[in-house]
Amino acid sequence: MQSTFTRRRFLGTAAAGSLAAATGFRPAFAQDEVLKVGVIHMGAISDTGWEYFQAEAWRKLKANYGDKVEVTVLENIAQIQDCERLFRQLATTGHKLIFGTTFSQYASLKKLAPSLGKAHFECCAGIEAGPNLGVFEAKHFEGTYLTGIAAGRMTKSNVLGWVGAFPVPQVVYSLNAFLLGARSVNPEATLKVVWANAWVDPGKEKDAVAALVAQGADVISGSPNTPVQGLAAEEKGVWSIGSTGDFSAYVKKAQLCSFELDWSAAHIEAAEGVINGTWAPTSRWRGLGPGGFVKMTTASPELPESVAAEMAAAEAAIIAGTLHPFAGPVKDQSGTVRFAAGATPGDDELKGMNWLVEGVQGTLPSAG
Amino acid sequence: MPLRLERRPQPSTAMVYAAPLIAVGATVIVALVIFAAAGHAPLDALVMFVTGPVQDRYGVGEWLLKATPLILIAVGLTVGFRAGVWNVGAEGQLILGVIASGWLALKFGPGGSPLLLPAMIVAGGLAGAAWAAIPALLRTRFNANEILVSLMFNYVAQLWLSWLVFGMWRDPAGFNFPQSEPLAPAALYPIILEDTRLNIGLWIALAAVLAGWVLLSRSYIGFQLKVTGLSDAAARYAGFSTRRAVWLGMLAGGLTAGIAGVGEIAGPLGQIFPTASPGYGYAAIIVAFLGRLHPIGIVFSGLLLSLLYLSGDTAQMSLGLPSSITGLFQGMMLFFLLAADVLIFYRIRRRPAAAPAAAPVASATIAEAAP
Amino acid sequence: MNGLLPILIATLVAGTPLVYAALGELVTERSGVLNLGVEGMMLVGAIAAFAVAYHTGSVPLAVLAGAAAGIGMALLFGLLAISFKANQVAAGLALAIFGGGLSSYLGKSYVGMALVIPQSQLSAAAADIPVLGALLGPLHPLVWLSWLVFAAIAWFLYRSRAGLVLRAVGESPSAAHAIGYPVIRIRYAATAFGGAMAGIAGAYVSVIYTALWTEGLVAGRGWIAVALVVFATWRPERCILGAYLFGGVTTAQLFAQGAGVAVPSELMSALPYLATVLVLVLISRDETLIRLNLPASLGKPFDAEG
Repeated sequence: MQSTFTRRRFLGTAAAGSLAAATGFRPAFAQDEVLKVGVIHMGAISDTGWEYFQAEAWRKLKANYGDKVEVTVLENIAQIQDCERLFRQLATTGHKLIFGTTFSQYASLKKLAPSLGKAHFECCAGIEAGPNLGVFEAKHFEGTYLTGIAAGRMTKSNVLGWVGAFPVPQVVYSLNAFLLGARSVNPEATLKVVWANAWVDPGKEKDAVAALVAQGADVISGSPNTPVQGLAAEEKGVWSIGSTGDFSAYVKKAQLCSFELDWSAAHIEAAEGVINGTWAPTSRWRGLGPGGFVKMTTASPELPESVAAEMAAAEAAIIAGTLHPFAGPVKDQSGTVRFAAGATPGDDELKGMNWLVEGVQGTLPSAG
Repeated sequence: MPLRLERRPQPSTAMVYAAPLIAVGATVIVALVIFAAAGHAPLDALVMFVTGPVQDRYGVGEWLLKATPLILIAVGLTVGFRAGVWNVGAEGQLILGVIASGWLALKFGPGGSPLLLPAMIVAGGLAGAAWAAIPALLRTRFNANEILVSLMFNYVAQLWLSWLVFGMWRDPAGFNFPQSEPLAPAALYPIILEDTRLNIGLWIALAAVLAGWVLLSRSYIGFQLKVTGLSDAAARYAGFSTRRAVWLGMLAGGLTAGIAGVGEIAGPLGQIFPTASPGYGYAAIIVAFLGRLHPIGIVFSGLLLSLLYLSGDTAQMSLGLPSSITGLFQGMMLFFLLAADVLIFYRIRRRPAAAPAAAPVASATIAEAAP
Repeated sequence: MNGLLPILIATLVAGTPLVYAALGELVTERSGVLNLGVEGMMLVGAIAAFAVAYHTGSVPLAVLAGAAAGIGMALLFGLLAISFKANQVAAGLALAIFGGGLSSYLGKSYVGMALVIPQSQLSAAAADIPVLGALLGPLHPLVWLSWLVFAAIAWFLYRSRAGLVLRAVGESPSAAHAIGYPVIRIRYAATAFGGAMAGIAGAYVSVIYTALWTEGLVAGRGWIAVALVVFATWRPERCILGAYLFGGVTTAQLFAQGAGVAVPSELMSALPYLATVLVLVLISRDETLIRLNLPASLGKPFDAEG
């Protein structure tokens, strides 16, 4: 290890903390020490999309703590095979707080975290907390329920469209809540779903928007990492709604509203815990509200004020706990009642959702 | 033109071995330029780049772990490449190995039978070979180009695995996330180096190297394959049909790729994910060529390429370079190698030729000159 | 709105990069050179065009940059495969891998960025043409241009003297050489043309089709283009048909999903690839059909010295 650090300093990339880390491990976190934080991104950090919000979180962490925190970032670590090695490398080079940024890294972290006690681990979108491993995830559905209200009000054809990459549970409950939000103001609304079955193929996403529009959809949302869906909607002259991303800088006219993901609270709380010696593995599943992970963005002036007011009221009710997007009765595609009238589903019932609500046209891979 | 190529009367054996060294040397020079352009002291950065990932036992274990599937697949592909059979579908064949062995592991893993692992290896290898048999059949029966068919089937295999893992193979306790349940201990390769992830996959790869060497260099079939690679007519004269070469070449590649797929889920993954292959099927093509289509050479080129993978990741951490330089260096090395290969058959001369006599020549594969 | 028109337009939009790339590869192969690196040339063309469009805002400049980048990549291939007589399959694979790495490396700072390209004035004007306007209006002029390129290539190959020479070089380079044609130079030109077309295809993908850059943006379309040339049996009219057929299957599966057809979406996504293989088999099984059109020297280096 010693040699690594010397060479690194020579190369000018080492920072103040490495000396302290290299001169021996310390049992607890010293107050004058710089906290080294490691983050592994699965994709490339860009200006929009999932990785962007992950990066925003550690940027805010840095801004919050200044010189007290040093962040090592790895991006484009696409292969699960590599995660274990790199997380381990971070943990053995003095990083005391290490973030995984996607669900795909969760299995590696779960395996590693217990054996690397000198560091603490947090995984975004991980399934559940484990020894030395905290997880955090957003209640995307609180955001899509609100944007669904806008969609339900603005649609003229009563057909909404959703373009998904892959049917992971977060996307499934997001699109379900989108339609439930729309139906809360417009019971006639239906939602057509198209899966691109590719993480990166913007061309196909664009074709998917064209297919949805041709079949009557006039408000398009989805789970994009790029503005391509919104741009395609704009080109086709229909409305676009940003899910987990505000694309209004690119989609100038067509984007009605959007919500973003803000993980900064998770990062800052974890860092605080490590610095104070109070860090413990927790599971944070948060939606709207202060300290939450879901943030509504400024809506377009094209969105009528009455609709904006309706969304604001629903937002307040969700934060207050008086409104739950999945409050019963909720039926699935086959008409079976999934959540009975008057019932509010628990988190565990929502987390792994693998069915589509009534009114969605599309398929999910069957459980067999 | 002041410089021109003149065909050597005999292919140069020395150049067969020198070409990969020239290619590596040229890649190193470009690497130094890139490091310098990024504002690093080039030589120090190079040392860091090469030695950074393998500074301790764990690092060495990771290196060998990464090299294992590359060597394994490359040996299988070589059998075909020598005969001019272009299997570029190793990626899909690897995924089929994952699907077949994964099915066994999920179904019989809890039983904990010691026969499970051997069964997974056999099933994975056979499934990979079966996937490769499709392009082989379409080529021999319908004359369809095996490069394109095997490539198209990569996409199909990927979607099939995706369908399984997003569907019926989801971990019941995993909140419907796209991953299988962790494989039972009986379905995992035993570790051979303590405190690392290095497993018996390495022995399997080395066994394949040995088998490949015997087949290609010490058997009559190996000779026939080589002859087929040179020309169809010569092969027929030697009593060996192109058809047999296609079958043998495709199946060998599919078999090893399928077994490599088993090694991924029974090794570093320990679980089945929709993205089981990190592009080893494509990288193995480079490994095969860089290794001179020779099993022993492949061991060295596999080690080199896998080190390049690890270095790409550490370069981000220590040198602040993007990880895409791995692909850049890989492609570049193959380029330089192919360029250097010209010196096996030709030498560089200054004067123009005296009497040009036109004739197309057989493709200058190194198989022609391979020992 | 006519129900079929949107499908037709979506098909033309999705098929256009394949039209460019496959027609370019067809010309290259007609000269006897097999360049499998179309995917790599498209990717480098795509990032070059994107960067130029991002900084200048000019689509024509971007397309030229894409073509130039494609030519650069093709010449690299030519150096290996034509001058150094390297194995063309290996050199093509190297080009594909190298192009993937190079485009990611160069595109690092553009990841996730999008272009705001105003609708082409030509398209806007075309929309007013009676009857045809409904079809032409939604399409970028680059799509129309691909039809002109197709016509030009068809004319060149079958009606022009230069095209005859090109085909002769692909058929029997030694004979062409004996008559006095510069085989090497002609092959270089054909390879460069293929590169330019692949570069334009890449430019179309990054600047017009998606108007943004991400790594691996081309997503396998270069390989499909290579497949199209074989299943077109080296004839341009079948090539353009095949490109639209593939675009059509891709589009149709998305329409089917939107219509709620109860077939696993993974199977639908696999359809274009399976269809490609099926057509490939149907075409290839008739050996005389292949023999008739296959450039006899395809993939074999030419050595004037013998």
